[in-house]
Amino acid sequence: MRPALAVFAVAAVAQWFLPLSGIWQHERVIARGTLVRIECGAPDPYDPLRGRYLAVRPAQSSVSKPEGFPLGGGKVPVWATLEAGDDGLSRVKSLSLEPVSGPTVISLTARFSGTSNGTDVIWLKWPFDRFYLNERLAPDADKLVAERLQAGEKPVAEIRLFHGQAVLTDVLIDGVSIRQVAKQQAE
Amino acid sequence: MSLDHYHWLAEQLPAWEQEGIVTADGARRLRERYAGKPRGGLAQMIVGAVGALLIGTGLIALIASNWDIFPRWVRLLLALGPLAATQGVSWWVLGKGESAKPWQQEAAALVQTLAVGAAMALVSQIYNLPGTWTDLFFWWCVVSVPLAWVLRSQATAIAYLIGITVWTVAQAADRLSWSAAADIADVRLWFPLLLAGVLPLWPGPELRDRPASGSRLVLAIAALVGLLAVAAFASIRRQAPDYGFFWLAMLSAAAVLLFPLDRNGIAEPLSRKPQVLLGGLALVIMALIATFEDPARVLVKHVRFALPLGWCWLLLAVVAGCAILAFRQGRYAVLAVAALALVPLVAAPLSAADTSGWPVAITYSLVLLATAIVLIALEFLGRQGAARIGAALIALLVILRMADADVSLLVKGLAFIVIGSGFLAFNAFVTHRRRAALTGGSPA
Repeated sequence: MRPALAVFAVAAVAQWFLPLSGIWQHERVIARGTLVRIECGAPDPYDPLRGRYLAVRPAQSSVSKPEGFPLGGGKVPVWATLEAGDDGLSRVKSLSLEPVSGPTVISLTARFSGTSNGTDVIWLKWPFDRFYLNERLAPDADKLVAERLQAGEKPVAEIRLFHGQAVLTDVLIDGVSIRQVAKQQAE
Repeated sequence: MSLDHYHWLAEQLPAWEQEGIVTADGARRLRERYAGKPRGGLAQMIVGAVGALLIGTGLIALIASNWDIFPRWVRLLLALGPLAATQGVSWWVLGKGESAKPWQQEAAALVQTLAVGAAMALVSQIYNLPGTWTDLFFWWCVVSVPLAWVLRSQATAIAYLIGITVWTVAQAADRLSWSAAADIADVRLWFPLLLAGVLPLWPGPELRDRPASGSRLVLAIAALVGLLAVAAFASIRRQAPDYGFFWLAMLSAAAVLLFPLDRNGIAEPLSRKPQVLLGGLALVIMALIATFEDPARVLVKHVRFALPLGWCWLLLAVVAGCAILAFRQGRYAVLAVAALALVPLVAAPLSAADTSGWPVAITYSLVLLATAIVLIALEFLGRQGAARIGAALIALLVILRMADADVSLLVKGLAFIVIGSGFLAFNAFVTHRRRAALTGGSPA
């Protein structure tokens, strides 16, 4: 085999490896993961490569600092165990600096945020922050979310959890997918 | 060598042989050297690139307009199908070897590069993956650059250079942001590594390939902008009021300006050396800024901050190494301009902290004047110089000093008329002198 063909073959394999590894990882979580719903906000920004999306921001963005959490400004990996409340929405029940297992464990990163009302608080970075939408539907969805927020309703992020990994599968408004609601509104 | 140049050479050689300009052996060696090596010119590249872009954009638009109606597995198929198809086409073009047309190589490499980006972006979109678009850029560039090597694609190499520069600038910008500071890649390591990604194409395994004019310009811009971004990255310190960007930027521009060239490269005109033009221009502009008191004071502060940084010493070592080589090659004009970056290093130890910036500003004015005189003198001494640039520099210096001088508008107006007339007269004199010499020498 000529060197050029060998280099091309290696590059072609690498070009497949990147998307395929992502697909395998996320399909596994979707197929075998536990369904969890969390309250969130969702404005509508734009990504130049991937198009319009709703910026999914879980309502629970900070919690009390757990024992042993470093006070520096750096990001620290943490494992949160989520627990569903009476409203069916999950919230962080406990936080560990060591890996823990369980069907509703999610791996996050956290950073010391400061002190609020005498309590040390840490800021949580969730492993999902965007929900992609059709270019035509995104502005309608954004308007819809703003209207519902004014009416006191909050969107809900539907995620699947498996071995600490999370995949955002949908954003719901009144229990209905925002894609569906926006499509109906557009029609 | 472009196809046009190759054809021109082939047409000229018989006449040169007949007229005794080259020997039969010399003509044979020239034919051998360039036989089978005609590479695509700008037109070939544009034809290939435009065709590829149209096909890629059309496919994306077709798919995007119906995206919502497809289930996930169909969307994945649509994301990965073009990648498989374009890889097949590239394999076929590669298999043709030397008989492949340059436009075929350009088109195959560029369409595949677009297909890789589309596959990565669509998979990321289908699974709502987090992360910024510049993260995608990094991996897209890394897995696409081998296509530029094996298919000799200038368009893909240009896209790669733009991609790594955008990514590097984004990382440096992120470093300013408190929230993203922990995630970002260290571009002091990554940018030089990524820039080295074009080495298998230019100069290539046989160390003979040179980028075409357009690619040279992109390469020079990418190197300069990327190094400036790295300088910003290296000098930003969280919760630190001062930083060393100004001086590191000067050293970066000097490194680009002094990039080593072989004998043929040195003999080329300035228009074919964009790294000299851009690096020199950036350095002169920064030096002109430093002729004012405030920026000069800031510059001295920046030297004090930058000196303990490892990146600063690496840049100094690169500049020193390239300067020694340039001195041995007699590139005195380039050395004279590059020396502007070292003025703050000499001035900083002599200036007390928080004193006036005037000593440095005045020093800079004098050094710029000396640099301009050197550029003019070198050309008049028959060396590679840049008389016009030197004259323009003197005119600029006088204009700047007149602009902030406390004299009447009438005096300023008269001075500007005298400077303008003098500059035009000098320009005409240099043109006349060059025509008389009729040797067509290169100005820098």
